[in-house]
Amino acid sequence: MKKRSKLSIFIFLFLLVSVVFPIFNMLLKIDWSDDSFQKLITSTAFKNALFNSLFVTSIATVISVSLSFFLAYTLNRTNIKHRSILKLLISLPMLIPSISHGLGLINLFGVNGIVTHFFNFNIIGSTGIILGSIIYSFPVAFLIIDDGYFYMDNNIYNAAEVLGMNKWQTFKTVTLCYLKKPLLSAFFAIFTMIFTDYGVPLAVGGKYLTLPVFLYKEVIGLLDYSKGTMIGLFLLIPALISFLFDTFFKNYGNVDGNQKYVVKENKIRDIVATIIVYLIIGFVIVLLGSFIYYAFVNNVMLDKSFSLTHWEYVSSNNLSQYVFNSIFISIMVAIVGTIIGYFSAYVTARIKGKLSKFLHLLTICTLAVPGIVLGLSYTISFNESFIYNTFVILIMVNIVHFIATPYLMAYNALLKVNQNYEVVAKTCNIPMYKIIIDVIIPCTKKTIREMMVYLFVNSMVTISAVTFLFNSKTMPLSLLINNYEGNMMLGEAAVISLIILVINAFVKIIIYVINRKEDRRKVKYEFNEEAI
Amino acid sequence: MVSLKVENLSKTYGKKTVLNNISFEVKDGEFLSILGPSGCGKTTLLKMIIGIEKPTSGEIIKNGKKITKFDSSKRKMGIVFQNYALFPNMTVLNNVSYALQLKLKNKKRAREESIKILKMVNMEEHLNKYPSELSGGQMQRVAVARTLALKPDIILFDEPMSALDADNRLVLRKELKKIQKQFNTTMIYITHDQEEAFSLSDRVMVMREGNIEQLDKPNTIFNHPKNEYVKQFVTNHLIEKVRSIERCTGIDL
Repeated sequence: MKKRSKLSIFIFLFLLVSVVFPIFNMLLKIDWSDDSFQKLITSTAFKNALFNSLFVTSIATVISVSLSFFLAYTLNRTNIKHRSILKLLISLPMLIPSISHGLGLINLFGVNGIVTHFFNFNIIGSTGIILGSIIYSFPVAFLIIDDGYFYMDNNIYNAAEVLGMNKWQTFKTVTLCYLKKPLLSAFFAIFTMIFTDYGVPLAVGGKYLTLPVFLYKEVIGLLDYSKGTMIGLFLLIPALISFLFDTFFKNYGNVDGNQKYVVKENKIRDIVATIIVYLIIGFVIVLLGSFIYYAFVNNVMLDKSFSLTHWEYVSSNNLSQYVFNSIFISIMVAIVGTIIGYFSAYVTARIKGKLSKFLHLLTICTLAVPGIVLGLSYTISFNESFIYNTFVILIMVNIVHFIATPYLMAYNALLKVNQNYEVVAKTCNIPMYKIIIDVIIPCTKKTIREMMVYLFVNSMVTISAVTFLFNSKTMPLSLLINNYEGNMMLGEAAVISLIILVINAFVKIIIYVINRKEDRRKVKYEFNEEAI
Repeated sequence: MVSLKVENLSKTYGKKTVLNNISFEVKDGEFLSILGPSGCGKTTLLKMIIGIEKPTSGEIIKNGKKITKFDSSKRKMGIVFQNYALFPNMTVLNNVSYALQLKLKNKKRAREESIKILKMVNMEEHLNKYPSELSGGQMQRVAVARTLALKPDIILFDEPMSALDADNRLVLRKELKKIQKQFNTTMIYITHDQEEAFSLSDRVMVMREGNIEQLDKPNTIFNHPKNEYVKQFVTNHLIEKVRSIERCTGIDL
């Protein structure tokens, strides 16, 4: 058998064991025999949780997507300065767990919050969940819409001008046509993200129960896996719709952003936009800054002096062990996940065939499984296997949870690499592995770096997929926030959030510097150039 | 000695027939152009000769040996693509010597030989440049040199000049012809450009919808087209050219 088909089969087997088996196994283990499903969906607790979830998610999604659209518009269609730094700052919230966003809100607006001192404000409940979810999700929506702007064919704007269209007509017929898919895509993605997240509501929801928290409490508190799975089914629905939409909805934007859009002069527009963008980013920075305040102040209520008590407490409680766990898991996920994602993409983008198409669908369908549901399926399916209670299961669940996005990065990059290299290699008698190592990997090294960072950062911040799977020896850092926050140790929780933020920012900065250096060295060869 | 023989070659995708039972021979050292509009099956034919696509039926025979089931690497053929397929992260010299080095297992000799061939294609001044620093014509020269370096029995060209401007094409055409004479390599050249096919080839094969319409010397095809299609496809284009010259110069040709 050829090496390349061996590769496809290996990847197929991996997905079979890590995705198909746990999900189906979980679904098959639901106990339908009695009327427990009937009982569940007619219970007041469930109805309330479902209503609450739909309520907060809808509001937060609309605000989050509108906000992101505004940000993307500002950064692409006004003369705002320092775009690349602003983009980096906008993505800051992605570097901390969702639960930390809730925590930040409590720091600011909680009963003893910094802002609450001046204004009477009650953040606990639906308001907090909505606000926290917006902060947690808008960077993702921003990236999707910003990408939409990047892939627009800007020549059409020139054409529209020549045809004498006014601004509103141009916006309606050109901009919205191109942004339809990214906007709807962002809408579905953000809805799913907020609907299935339990970090924010756990931290700031108080008694306001949402569906994922309901699931979490059923499984963690009452160990009722069957009921947990039934609730999980409801979490799967929006994710599934989002996935189907993304896979089958036609996208108009397919042009590489070569043609630069010329922004017209408009001082008032620029000033207003700049002020609003700075206010939004300012709020994010204040939220993150609250961690620094809480982490270094002895007691926010009684003694506001500088102190390292929280750091000392945290470090005397096995901090190094948890830091090691998190970094170890994240590095392993980054390496193994990138290898699997890259080679899956190699198979699907460069070796055509039925198996390739199937592998493509199978890999991206992991997008449709919320982390908490995936984690639950792993607990149910692997609790008797040798990998349970080890790092292996944590690494595996994170890889599956996050693989779709880096896979798509690699897929798009590999499609752009000249499709004839393999034929040249064959006729020149160059072994396939040599051409992959010597040509194809160097051509896509920037993408590979980005895949690794994505996997690393997300593994550092995730709590949903790993929450049912860790033990005292393998517990990652992010879950400590939950523990401390639950015990109202806000200073300690802030310390952990800060550590995660610093590690992730450090990794991001390293990659940023490497990429910049490479660009500046004026590398003589340019990849993805159509002519090559 | 017959260099390459194609016997009753067919290719179907489901119900669609792309190549319909075609047979022809290419003689040793011959330059054969395969001419036809897009969708006539010429690229599929090329892919089967090089070995990256399997025929539905029929045989490909090289020097008396059936090679239909051989892997591309065993066929001793080279290919030059329209988009060059140069390795962007390697210099001109490395692009040419990379495969040779693996073959000879001798870096120094591989480099020496590569330089020799790059000289022949007038690229000796650009040895340390990267592909992105070259013009289209220069890139195509490197691609030809890379293929020549391995001394294949047959070189196939897949519309190699479609991406070049008219001046460059003319220069490169002449050079290609020179190289072919120098190396006496059998060349099979795919194109939809009548002029290119006629000026380069010993023989031209006109294809339509998976069939060979005519295979003859350029002269014969031009003067005695076998059917209306060949006449239309081949001569109309040239007549158009003559007419445009007439229009420009006012001289009745």
